[in-house]
Amino acid sequence: MFRKIGVVGAGTMGRSIAEMLAEKGLDVFLLEQTPQQLEQAMSLLEASLDRQMERWAITAAEKKLILNRIHKLNAVQELVNCDLVIETVTEDLDRKKEIFQELDQVLPPDAVIASNTSTLSLTELAGVTEHPERVIGMHFVYPAFRIDVVEIIRGLQTSDDTFVRTKSFTEEVLAKKGVMVYESPGFVTTRLICLLINEALHLLEEGVASPEDIDNAMRIGYQFEHGPLEMADRFGLDSILAALDRMFREFGELKYRPSFVLKKKVRAGQLGVKTGIGFFQYDKDGDRIT
Amino acid sequence: MNVLVINSGSSSLKYQLYDMKIESVLAKGRVERIGMETSILSHEAEGKPETREVSEILDHTTAIKKVLDMLTHREFGVLRTIEEVDAVGHRIVHGGESFRESVLVTEDVKLEIRRLFDLAPLHNPAHMMGITAVERNLPEVPQAVVFDTAFHQTMPPVSFMYAIPMVFYKKHKVRRYGFHGTSVDYVSRCASDFLGRPLSELKLVVCHIGNGASCTAVLHGKSHDTSMGMTPLEGLMMGTRSGDLDPAIVTFAINKEDLTLNEVNSMLNKHSGLLAVSGVSGDVREVVEAMNNGSENAKLAFEMYANRIRKYIGAYAASMNGIDALVFTAGVGENSALLRSEVCKGLTFLGLALDDKRNEERSDQARSISTADSRVDVLVVPTNEELLIARDTYRLVRETPHT
Repeated sequence: MFRKIGVVGAGTMGRSIAEMLAEKGLDVFLLEQTPQQLEQAMSLLEASLDRQMERWAITAAEKKLILNRIHKLNAVQELVNCDLVIETVTEDLDRKKEIFQELDQVLPPDAVIASNTSTLSLTELAGVTEHPERVIGMHFVYPAFRIDVVEIIRGLQTSDDTFVRTKSFTEEVLAKKGVMVYESPGFVTTRLICLLINEALHLLEEGVASPEDIDNAMRIGYQFEHGPLEMADRFGLDSILAALDRMFREFGELKYRPSFVLKKKVRAGQLGVKTGIGFFQYDKDGDRIT
Repeated sequence: MNVLVINSGSSSLKYQLYDMKIESVLAKGRVERIGMETSILSHEAEGKPETREVSEILDHTTAIKKVLDMLTHREFGVLRTIEEVDAVGHRIVHGGESFRESVLVTEDVKLEIRRLFDLAPLHNPAHMMGITAVERNLPEVPQAVVFDTAFHQTMPPVSFMYAIPMVFYKKHKVRRYGFHGTSVDYVSRCASDFLGRPLSELKLVVCHIGNGASCTAVLHGKSHDTSMGMTPLEGLMMGTRSGDLDPAIVTFAINKEDLTLNEVNSMLNKHSGLLAVSGVSGDVREVVEAMNNGSENAKLAFEMYANRIRKYIGAYAASMNGIDALVFTAGVGENSALLRSEVCKGLTFLGLALDDKRNEERSDQARSISTADSRVDVLVVPTNEELLIARDTYRLVRETPHT
């Protein structure tokens, strides 16, 4: 079973995954491009643990233990002892390919290389490696420590062994449901949720209902934790736009065409929680201002 | 006969080796951080220097192997070969309704302990790892399991049922199980010996006040009622556990603060109790220190803590229609004279009178701390769960004919 896990990229998803892994008692090796970025990521991660503490999810002693299990790295070579490396950098195919090539050279052949991509082709990423059989997708849903499902994506050449090890790790160690999906843009979660959000934006454009009412209708009506617009704000409107764009290109179907209001918001830099404003407004802790 | 007593947690393992001829501890120690590269084994043998070893111990099987190596170590060990371990006894937190007493480990017993994982998800799986680890290292050696809940299986339904729809009991076995049973059993017997009166005619209330805390009404040697419930969260206020509260607070808190099940569980188990009220610590000693330094919150926390114990003693005296002796045990119960006097202050209506001088005396022996004319004896009895586990294991192994 995997014990030492590398996480490449300490953005929103990378931090969230690292935090969750360390909370489960695993040793995590976190890699960023520069020491400055890494330090900044660690302070954001610590702030997230503080918020968890305020919500009574963990104690001060547990926070310390979790932070002690996260080791900061500056070079891909330092990941050499990891059994599993999860790549979480931005959804840029060329950047990801470079990283996969490097990881493939550094890691022993039985280590598994996973990508947290939501829309890119695993098969294409695996194509740049010498051991494509150990490449797999592990798509976590944000925030990783609260949401207990992982889409496990099989590329064309992913071996049964890689899949079985990844699935049993997900279910037994992480205690999350592992859903097996075959490669397809957006898999299950991203494809369905982006379409829901896009349709909500069409409703908004058409003036059918106000943002508050759209969200209330879905939140109360179908027991969503957040309505589709707040959900979009929390994911980041730029990420939603990028995912829709990619699915639109891959499938060529109009239903994936991003709504204009989404494009306008992104152009205006109103990206949701991370900029304090999207369809709603948020304070620095990410709580909605009402 | 040498009996090895094991208390196996998810990432730690405590052990004691007994020579049962004279019931003496030959060696004891603990393995911490199992599953890491820097696991620590600390070991202490009678008449030998204490030793600490840091090494990679990735699972319980390796941990047991390291313990056996240490027990037979040329310098720090106490045995010549591992064949000198004649039996192993395990502490198991939850025996559900299946186990009313200690038993030898068989395939059926292991299956049943696995079935109980649902009721004790944090503890029983870890105990099971300990049993398997011993099997792998000592395949020929008989093992026994001693349950924290077993002693309380004598409780009548009047005490163990909750007033909620029966389907929860029938379908999910939701009922009061109680914990600290091994300790309460041991301490009750010591109390009976000390008083020179048979258990069968005694009405005792045993207060096991340690990190976790519970009160048990022991009627004629059997558990009649106990303050911990389906889980160790119910009953007394504890270091970081809330103990009794209005169950509606749970749903109210979930709703108001938008908490997940994990968060509300952790809030009640790890962020409540003395720690929450005092704002200082979950440790009684530190709360008392803060109280002496003038902290109002620490004073409130301490008084709430004592008051909850007092209420349970009163309730159990009523439930048994009398009380012959009140017994304090475990870390805080054995060591905090201040807590004992605070609890007993409000119990004079029972005819209970504390001897302040005897209460202050320190000793590791069972002792009386009430006045000669007190109608209720008040005792301090040091607990020793490991010894009881060793005794049960020894008895079970001797009773079983060898094939």
